Amino acid sequence: MRSKTVDRLLNSTPKDVEIFVDWYADLVVRINQLLRENDISKKELAEKMDKKPSEISKWLSGEHNFTLRSLAKLSAELGEPLIEVPKRKAQTEFVEDGFRCRVHTFVSYTNLDTKTSGKFWQFPEETEPNNELSNAG
Amino acid sequence: MAASVKDDPTTSNRRLRTRKKFFDTYAVSEHPLEEKALQLFRLITESIGNRHGATDDFFARIVNRAQELPPKPKQRVEEIKDLGINFPLRLFCYRVIENIVILFNGGIKESQATQESKNLSMKFYDAQTFVKKIEEALQSEMIKISDDGRYLQNFDGTTDIIP
Repeated sequence: MRSKTVDRLLNSTPKDVEIFVDWYADLVVRINQLLRENDISKKELAEKMDKKPSEISKWLSGEHNFTLRSLAKLSAELGEPLIEVPKRKAQTEFVEDGFRCRVHTFVSYTNLDTKTSGKFWQFPEETEPNNELSNAG
Repeated sequence: MAASVKDDPTTSNRRLRTRKKFFDTYAVSEHPLEEKALQLFRLITESIGNRHGATDDFFARIVNRAQELPPKPKQRVEEIKDLGINFPLRLFCYRVIENIVILFNGGIKESQATQESKNLSMKFYDAQTFVKKIEEALQSEMIKISDDGRYLQNFDGTTDIIP
């Protein structure tokens, strides 16, 4: 049974706070993924994330420039996600009967209520296609 | 992700009962750290609880030891410093497995080292005590991880765990 405190916090957390934290955690996971999978340096990572060369040393030195918060507020106002982090699955590729099969997850975002000035959006539940072949790439 | 603690006349539990719970203390209107507490709540319930799990991205690979939330980022990258390094609150927890994290109490981090922080040192000690008891109970199979790996239960399958 969920506590009253949990219910209260779930209902009272501002949307921009939720987005800010979600992005933060997604970035943590994404950056770790990239560094791990591609064995790349932090400098290379900075370049991949579209940082200008002049910004890189400042970026890596840890000086503050919290643009994430302003982006979260902007996203809350626009009602649309500005960044998206694909969730990596362990089994994304396999070989069967001589074919290399890749499994993809497709996510579509639909704004269900246009009357709310775009301040809220709802993520559709993920569904797996019934037809196994439709997922083979 | 919760620990169920019933009334028990042990010293630890008397101390626990007299302390206000973390989120009831900080995640309240007018408290200067309300937004920070809400950030931490979201990190635990959504990012770790629903989206990613208690992975190594958020937890250090240490056993038998309470850990702090939010976690310190492992990479020194601008965008992922805010919650990890400059965050004023700390909540102690114990990662049993990727799907089960037990939350304890926490407070304001006033100094660099947790043990030197008045507000945190005793709570860290409490958390460590609970971690030790949980580990012992798991090893002796008084409690176990449920078949679906999502919660802890007693050896007989009941879920009210009395320390």
